[in-house]
Amino acid sequence: MSETLPVVLLVDDEKHILSALSRCLRREGYEILSVGSAAEALRVLGERPVDLIVSDQKMPGTHGIAFLTEVERGGSRVPRVLLTGWPEEIPQAEIERAGITALLPKPWDDAELKSTLRSCLTG
Amino acid sequence: MNARLLVVEPFEERPAAASTAEALRLLGPAVALELHHEAPVAAAALRARHSDLVVLDHRLGDDLWSLLCRAREGATPALVIGEAGDEAHALRAFRAGATGYVERGPAFAENLSTAAREQLQWVQRIRGSIPSFVEEKNAGTLDRYSRNIIENMNSALLVINREGAISYANPTAERALGVGDGELEGRDLRDWFPGAEAEEILPLRTVKEGTRFRGVETVLTRADGTLIPTGISCAPLVDAEGVGEGAVAIFQDLVEIKQLQRQVLQTEKMASIGQLAAGVAHEINNPMGFIHANLSQLTEYLDDLQKVWAQVEGLRGAADRDPADAQQVREAARALGATIQAVDAGFLMRDFGTAIRESLEGSERIRAIVTDLRAFSHQDTAERALCDINRALDSTANIVWTMMKHSVVLTKQYEELAPMVGFPMQLKQVFMNLLVNAYQAIEERAAREELRGEIRLRTELQGEEVLITVTDNGVGMPKETLDRIFDPFFTTKEVGVGTGLGLSTSFNLIKNHGGTLRAQSEVGRGTSFEVRLPLGDPDELL
Ligand SMILES: Nc1ncnc2c1ncn2[C@@H]1O[C@H](COP(=O)(O)OP(=O)(O)OP(=O)(O)O)[C@@H](O)[C@H]1O
Ligand SMILES: [Mg+2]
Repeated sequence: MSETLPVVLLVDDEKHILSALSRCLRREGYEILSVGSAAEALRVLGERPVDLIVSDQKMPGTHGIAFLTEVERGGSRVPRVLLTGWPEEIPQAEIERAGITALLPKPWDDAELKSTLRSCLTG
Repeated sequence: MNARLLVVEPFEERPAAASTAEALRLLGPAVALELHHEAPVAAAALRARHSDLVVLDHRLGDDLWSLLCRAREGATPALVIGEAGDEAHALRAFRAGATGYVERGPAFAENLSTAAREQLQWVQRIRGSIPSFVEEKNAGTLDRYSRNIIENMNSALLVINREGAISYANPTAERALGVGDGELEGRDLRDWFPGAEAEEILPLRTVKEGTRFRGVETVLTRADGTLIPTGISCAPLVDAEGVGEGAVAIFQDLVEIKQLQRQVLQTEKMASIGQLAAGVAHEINNPMGFIHANLSQLTEYLDDLQKVWAQVEGLRGAADRDPADAQQVREAARALGATIQAVDAGFLMRDFGTAIRESLEGSERIRAIVTDLRAFSHQDTAERALCDINRALDSTANIVWTMMKHSVVLTKQYEELAPMVGFPMQLKQVFMNLLVNAYQAIEERAAREELRGEIRLRTELQGEEVLITVTDNGVGMPKETLDRIFDPFFTTKEVGVGTGLGLSTSFNLIKNHGGTLRAQSEVGRGTSFEVRLPLGDPDELL
């Protein structure tokens, strides 16, 4: 059965954030992959298909926006969510360039996180 | 009034600025106007021939500052035209050597011509090119025209005779010193400098030795005893044979400018605090994020575990019944088992502990940041106090490091120091500026190449001085940049990132402590800032 679960890739340099996100999504019926950097995420994306990407913005090395822009440039259509403490600081143009489907604030609200991810996957 | 005037403004298709030249034509045909649009040509003209006054338009952008520099080198007074209400620009212009400032706006033409006239008048009087008028004590010889200017000019003007008494004062001088009409004439100049040695009274030195001064800061005492900071310029008065007759002094009340300076200091402080607050907010936000999420998950876990508990209660109730009904007990046990499985109680129990441990770790991180913040804000009277430099540096470094720990290694090498007399808050502000600059330089270099950022802090005692060095391995600076870093508003950073006030403010704060601030840098290698501070005498505090 597990092969048919939607695959969600979580990207954050803070491992406790990854674990809190997985905790929250535990009952959502996803296969969850957690990685600690944009570089690792790109490697995973090269190895296997995923259905949704959730990335933190502020990470050492490549930031979330830059990472998602790279995904977009690679021609991927995977829906993607950017997690950031300062959503209003990200210019609209960059959001579009990175093909971002939704922005989520940090700290997030569990119900909002779940519903955003669900609508990304169905929409 | 024969004079040469150089006007520099950027070229425009439809010159709104024609008004500049027009306004200056009000000065009459004896004033020759030379108009330039190109900064390099204007600079060459400034060097090549004598001008009595140069008028510079703020729209020249950066060229304005280099032309002001040229003018200052040639001791040519410079009048700057600026936008109405742009106080920061005006202040910067004065600091860069402007001798006057006129804002665009209503009555611009009038204001400009008046200001230009004042400046020219001032120059010519100081240069002694118009026969001196006041020594004759006979206002009749003063033609109405120059008299008008002198009485209406915005600067205070005093003429001092050979004995050191005031022989003429214009109304601005009377207002500035707080006396009535004509009350200054005949008074001894020393009355306005109570307690000062003759040596310290600049106009008297001009009378005695013929020395000229230009824009020197001096404190005068008003009639009511209050002190006013002024910028004073003095020139000797000589008769036709070149014999000294006294001196003319022009001074400007600096109270307003001082207030502007204070505002700039405040702005700079707010800017650094803003940066710091953003860094701290960021570091607190991550742990806040997962603590918050974990707490709401734990609430759900608890709900599920409570369902299990309800079944446990049910089972106990069945078992306690007398006589026990084996069938009922089995039923309750099965229900308990089903709930345990449905809620995945085994996982919940394990993960409950993990979530709590992770959250505690997060709250510990927040606690550490708050401790650093507390240390940073501690002991900070704005008053002069005994400062522990190592502690001031360390608490500042720790808090600034919160925002850079992901990309920078901080190494500290502190030597035991004697306590120093100073303003701890100001010193921390300086350290903060140096650290933030170092961090930004590292980020800039790291954006281009693989880099392990490093900031080294070092303190040592050298005789009666404390030496503090902040060294980074960031982008570094070429010599042209290094030469200008202490200029107010000089910045190579994007709008919104840098105001260019950090180092000029730091420089002044260190200077006020009797210390020095120096920098060494190499492009692509890094930069080192060196602060030297005298220990001072702790007894002064008593
Ligand atoms: N450690 C450093 N390494 C490289 N360049 C530096 C360093 N410190 C200062 N500079 C240069 O000196 C300029 C002036 O520094 P200053 O601190 O006065 O202003 P700023 O950092 O640009 O802006 P602000 O401090 O007001 O935010 C900087 O823009 C930068 O070019
Ligand atoms: Mg700075």
